[in-house]
Amino acid sequence: MLAMMDDVLHIGNETENKVQAEQGKLPEPELKPEKAPEETKLETPKEKHSDSQTPLIDFQHVTKAYARKVAISDVNLRINEGEFVSIVGQSGAGKTTLIKLLTKQEPPTHGSIFVAGRNLADLRAKEVPFYRRKIGVVFQDFKLLPQKTVWENVAFALEVCGFSQDEIERRTTKALELVNLGRRRKNYPEELSGGERQRTAIARALVHSPKILIADEPTGNLDPVNTWEIVELLYRIYQRGTTVILSTHNRQVVDKIKKRVILMKGGKIISDELGGKYVI
Amino acid sequence: MNLGVNMSSSFFPTIKRIIKLGLTNFWRNRWLTLGATLLMTLTLTMISVSILMTYLLRDTAALINSKIDLTIYFRDDTVVDNSITALMTRIQGLPDVTSARFVDKAAALAIWDRLPINENIKKPVTATNNTLPRSIEISTNSPDSIQSVVDKIGATDTDKIICTECVSYSKNKDTVNRLISITKFVQRAGLVLSMFFGLIAIFNVMNIIRITITARSDEIEIMRYVGASNAFVRGPFIVEGILYGLFGTIFTTLFLLAIGYGSSYYAGTSSGALSFLQMINLDIFQYVLAHLFDLVLIQLGIGVLLGIVVSSLSIRRFLEA
Repeated sequence: MLAMMDDVLHIGNETENKVQAEQGKLPEPELKPEKAPEETKLETPKEKHSDSQTPLIDFQHVTKAYARKVAISDVNLRINEGEFVSIVGQSGAGKTTLIKLLTKQEPPTHGSIFVAGRNLADLRAKEVPFYRRKIGVVFQDFKLLPQKTVWENVAFALEVCGFSQDEIERRTTKALELVNLGRRRKNYPEELSGGERQRTAIARALVHSPKILIADEPTGNLDPVNTWEIVELLYRIYQRGTTVILSTHNRQVVDKIKKRVILMKGGKIISDELGGKYVI
Repeated sequence: MNLGVNMSSSFFPTIKRIIKLGLTNFWRNRWLTLGATLLMTLTLTMISVSILMTYLLRDTAALINSKIDLTIYFRDDTVVDNSITALMTRIQGLPDVTSARFVDKAAALAIWDRLPINENIKKPVTATNNTLPRSIEISTNSPDSIQSVVDKIGATDTDKIICTECVSYSKNKDTVNRLISITKFVQRAGLVLSMFFGLIAIFNVMNIIRITITARSDEIEIMRYVGASNAFVRGPFIVEGILYGLFGTIFTTLFLLAIGYGSSYYAGTSSGALSFLQMINLDIFQYVLAHLFDLVLIQLGIGVLLGIVVSSLSIRRFLEA
């Protein structure tokens, strides 16, 4: 218990320092909806690319076959710590399957997936929840609990993990500040706009201070203004040092980010380039 | 990044949260949970009624058994009181005998005087002219063992006994045997029937708990995404299962008391269908009250256990393999 609290506190302090360090750098912490997408300038931190580094995520010849369909076949993919990776492709290209494998909702049919050097296949069933606490996941349909307020939805993620009430208070406040939803804490999801709902979901995903944030079509249900809100937020999270994996089929989003783009088609990676664009 | 190594989490706040979540869910989904609670009530009522029936049969059988006396009459001329006392000591030593009472001539006369028979027949027998025989009244632990007791006594002391025909058991043998077989049949049929109904009710409770869990699969999914352990996902549902058992017990007990009170009242005031209860001198309300503690304990045990087992079984497919 003590070891865990140590770990938690450590991560917490680290995050706090980063937030303080980067608050000066952010040109506009307040996200303004009236800001047109074209004007959005995204600041790029130094890339941490080097081939010698042990990758944070390593897919080795991964195939996932369902009864009627092969969702992804022989995928090799390495993602380093601190990267912003966009996975693009049409529906059915295998993006969601990739994410399901990464969150260990499903096992691969063939091949191995390593996260931080550990093979996910070796994680015992009991360890899986603890693994999930180290990755935040955001979905197209938000997956918020309708009968809980914004605050309760975010705090819930900590409650189920046995955090102390003080720690929940502290982390939830900070996560809601980060996504700029402090004022909406007492509202229920149905009283929020789509963008606010997704920001709540992002706050919930971040509240554990995960090393990886996975966003599966986070803007799929949002209008362009809200879409930019979310993309900017994801980018800020990336700037704070979290590895972000964004799955999307929104060409504008990918073209704007100008980061590593992985294009999938028919269950295979057909291109993988830095500063890439969405080209089919 | 450390994967899945810090497996411990603080225990007490977690337990508190699990209980709170269970209570909240119970109240928030009150229509579904009401359905589950009512089905649980039905199950427990059926089980309670069959238990009451078993009790009633058992008590009736015990009553009948205690009334079946094996009486041995002694000849006045050949038997002295001392040998009767000796025989009685031996009878009391027999394994199947629960009690043996010596009735002397004075006691026999007292009984004779109270008999509802013609005074002209009664008159000749007086304290000075007492022709009534002395006897030993024997109670056995079950009607089944009367014959063996008769055999054991009859084999050694036939000369002291007026007549074997006088043993009351011989006259009632057929009736007693029929009664025994009916009692046994009713008991067995009741057991099978209550097991059958109990099984149906258990399936219904299982189904409704499954429905309540499926209705909340979104919540379970979210709990898993945010890294809730299996124990935490399961916990609130187990709390709910316990609540079904608790509320089921409360409803069932109230229901039984109401039925008991109603039937007692009806039996007391009318000459209707339930007046037979008066004839056999049975007050259902009192009877339920007398067994209330047993019943509540049994209901609580079965209800809570059923709730826990069914909830854990139903939640299993939502948990990590």
